[in-house]
Amino acid sequence: MMKTMRVLVTVLLVLIAGGAGSWVWNDYMYSPWTRDGRVRADIITVAPDVSGWVTKLDVRHDAVVKKGQLLFQVDAQRYHAALAKSEATAENEKYALALAQHKYERRKQLVKSQSISAEDLEVARINTQIAEANYKLALAELETAKLNVNRTKIYAPESGNIINLNLRQGNYVSQGVPVLAIVKADSFYVTGYFEETKLPLIHLGQHATVTLLGGGELTGEVASIGRAIANTNTQSDNQLLPQIQQTFNWVRLAQRIPVDIKLASVPQDIRLSAGMTVSIHLSEQ
Amino acid sequence: MLQTVSFAGLEFSPLVVLLPVAFLLVAATRFILHWLHLRERIWKVAWFEVALFFCYLAATVYLLGGR
Repeated sequence: MMKTMRVLVTVLLVLIAGGAGSWVWNDYMYSPWTRDGRVRADIITVAPDVSGWVTKLDVRHDAVVKKGQLLFQVDAQRYHAALAKSEATAENEKYALALAQHKYERRKQLVKSQSISAEDLEVARINTQIAEANYKLALAELETAKLNVNRTKIYAPESGNIINLNLRQGNYVSQGVPVLAIVKADSFYVTGYFEETKLPLIHLGQHATVTLLGGGELTGEVASIGRAIANTNTQSDNQLLPQIQQTFNWVRLAQRIPVDIKLASVPQDIRLSAGMTVSIHLSEQ
Repeated sequence: MLQTVSFAGLEFSPLVVLLPVAFLLVAATRFILHWLHLRERIWKVAWFEVALFFCYLAATVYLLGGR
């Protein structure tokens, strides 16, 4: 009897251990969590729409800016001159149109008294249309010149923090070349890179607990699950042949799919920076 | 609870802490059983202790892992 009890205790414990080990394995390998998460934010790159010297710089690195606040100003002299030229051209074309219309009206009277031919009248009518088109062209150029003058002042497109400001007063900036970035205020979110084996356990709206590497806990919910990641096997060489990567026969690494987590709220005592490392645990429901 | 262990900017799996905790619990159990003269009554002590280690490990993961 005693012998049976001794055997039974060990066998029972081994069976329980089998179940417990299996639970630990499944918990780590197949529950929806990852340590491979990053904090992200909406980054807006600001580029001037006109070229020129920076005559005034109103912001400093890491400064908080409001939407519509002046960031910097580009030398406007050239654009003011272009505007004056466009105004003069538009006025010129306006009078040219008036003259053409006057000639056309006069020739309409003359053709009734058969003083000019029908062809002369037709030429006058076409000249009026050409003058009208030229006037419209001049007006469009005037609008562009006004726009260029307005665009010499660069305003913040959104509220946020200035990042990577290497711009200095006196620098020459070129049209379309970004000179600073703004991290949009309250736009922080988290992207977790989950192994593809865990994707069946993830769905939209799922509750997420986000733990920062530096300490602190946030909550959120799954906002989107990535629909595509890059596949290196689809690249081609210069002969357009597919470059297929070799793999080890026995080992396959699971791909990681980005899953975006929308944060519910960020506590005052937690200061987020895009790029921070986080761990993400999703609820199993 | 213990979901990650960060040390000097490095992030480790919580198992780095939970495994030694389970091991210490097994050692403590072993000491207590020896003290109570029960250890010599166990059938296949090695099997018993390995099984006990897995039970303790699962318990620490469940209790300290924030589930």
